[in-house]
Amino acid sequence: MQLTIKNYMKKLLFLLMLSITVWSCKKETEFVYEVNDVQVGKDKIGKGISKSTVEFISIAYSDLVGSTISQNDLSKVTLLYLAFGDKRLLEDLLIKNIVNSELVNISTNEVMRADVTAFVNNTYLKLFNREPNELELFNLKKQITENISITPKLIYYAMMTSDEYRYY
Amino acid sequence: MSSFIPRRNFIKKAAIAATGAIVVPYILPSGRLFAATGNRIANHVVFCLFAGGIRNIESVGQERGNLLPSLLGGAGTVDPIIAAGMSPLPAFAGNSLKSQGTLYRQFRYAEGPTGHFNGHSTALTGNYTLQDLSIREAPKMPTIFEYYRKHSSPEQNALNAWWVANSLGPYPSLNFSSHPGYGALYGANFVQPLTLISENGANALSNPIAFSSDEIAKVNEMRNNFNASFSKSGVFKENAIVNGLADRDLLQNYIRQQLLDALGGAYENPWGAGTSMNDDMYNIFFAEKILEQFKPELLVVNMQGVDIAHSDFTQYCNNLRKADFAVGHLWQTIQNTPGLANDTILIVAPEHGRNLVPNTIVDNYGQAALDHNSDATSREIFCMVVGPPGKVQQNQVITQITGESIDIAPTIARILGFDQDVPGGMLPGRILNEALV
Repeated sequence: MQLTIKNYMKKLLFLLMLSITVWSCKKETEFVYEVNDVQVGKDKIGKGISKSTVEFISIAYSDLVGSTISQNDLSKVTLLYLAFGDKRLLEDLLIKNIVNSELVNISTNEVMRADVTAFVNNTYLKLFNREPNELELFNLKKQITENISITPKLIYYAMMTSDEYRYY
Repeated sequence: MSSFIPRRNFIKKAAIAATGAIVVPYILPSGRLFAATGNRIANHVVFCLFAGGIRNIESVGQERGNLLPSLLGGAGTVDPIIAAGMSPLPAFAGNSLKSQGTLYRQFRYAEGPTGHFNGHSTALTGNYTLQDLSIREAPKMPTIFEYYRKHSSPEQNALNAWWVANSLGPYPSLNFSSHPGYGALYGANFVQPLTLISENGANALSNPIAFSSDEIAKVNEMRNNFNASFSKSGVFKENAIVNGLADRDLLQNYIRQQLLDALGGAYENPWGAGTSMNDDMYNIFFAEKILEQFKPELLVVNMQGVDIAHSDFTQYCNNLRKADFAVGHLWQTIQNTPGLANDTILIVAPEHGRNLVPNTIVDNYGQAALDHNSDATSREIFCMVVGPPGKVQQNQVITQITGESIDIAPTIARILGFDQDVPGGMLPGRILNEALV
């Protein structure tokens, strides 16, 4: 009988050790909150070629008007560029003029505010040729929703005079 | 002992650091404290490149009559053989420029090919270029604009330095050099008004959207966010000068106003010269607008209408008269502009001359045309230094061979007080001291 008890105690101890081992090795639960991994570093945007003057004018016209600039008009504007030393100044002035012209073909304020996320995504694709990262999307959406006076024209002007727009 | 710096020591070190921060930026590469801007002769210089290739025979030599009445004085009587080919011009009202300065009758473009771009480059860099220049390439030696902006104390912004050219081609390249340590950062504002202030210019640039200050603040905030995501600065493929943001606004408003004025017809006959108004005169007219608006300390403007001499000698003489009228008008505008009057020195010189022997092209008046192939006559030019009494020697004519093209840049440096700060050997010419008081 003693042997039986001894055996029983042994088995009980084994089971106890086994259960401790099993329970202590249980894989920790990984909680996944519904947030995607994001890349927010500066060097994740693979653009390394600076637009030439002619390329800049042609692309800017196309982005704002929605059609290709005629070769004649492109030649005329390129000549204007040659006639002034500060190219950035002239480029800025040119964009301000196209944004203000009747030819401009960009979203209205109402369309933008009806679906801000879609507007931001589409505008990044159109002007920067890429989707915005999460931080960029958050920032621009926040600015649009918190500032009623921000219009698509303001956003286009800011993007087209940014550093990234000079590259492709 | 406490790890904290004792209060007295802290104050002492902070004072030394603050003093250093204030003083160090003013120690120049030459080792001097402060540049010699207090040693200026005048606060403004306008250099008019009376270019296109002009022989002394027709200019100061007056072999075909007095084609330069504004510069030299006297009646503008023209050789009867070509008189019928002259355009009517308003009479120049005022004292001759010669009477208000010093005329070097025998100035020299001594070395290098007698090409227009070579001549311009030599005058603006103060260094001869011995190889033929015609491509659109920045000069290898710094321009007078770069010396001025870099070596003045404090450093000057581009709004104070202008290069106003009457044509494109290679001339936009003359506002800064490719020299290490200089370049676009110290370049001048370049403008070629005849292209910019035009119907094309008005169509493309005269109607910009006007943003409120609140909207501009929002644009800046958004742009900063966009730039924060991008590792490269927005550099231009084409190397170019960049004005500060405040100056950029001033310049954009200025361009826009010029375009609106042009559209409104204000520039159709601005000098009462009717159809006689040529590109040279318009270029000087726009240079005057820049002088009135920005009162720059250094402005260089050129004319090249006389280059028609390659095929039409009579029109060469006619355009010489127009260039003379334009320079007279320019000087009067300077004297009528507060801030510039009595504080501006005007230097006038062709970039080079023309050959003694004409070519075989004969014009409607039986006159043979003139090229420029680096013969001795094509190196003979004149130079005039005009300015207020007390700054410039008045009514002086130097008849012996004195001065050359490379002397103009160091003379400008002397007038604006930074000649001692230009590193040794970079400006081999001498200062035209005979003309200065």
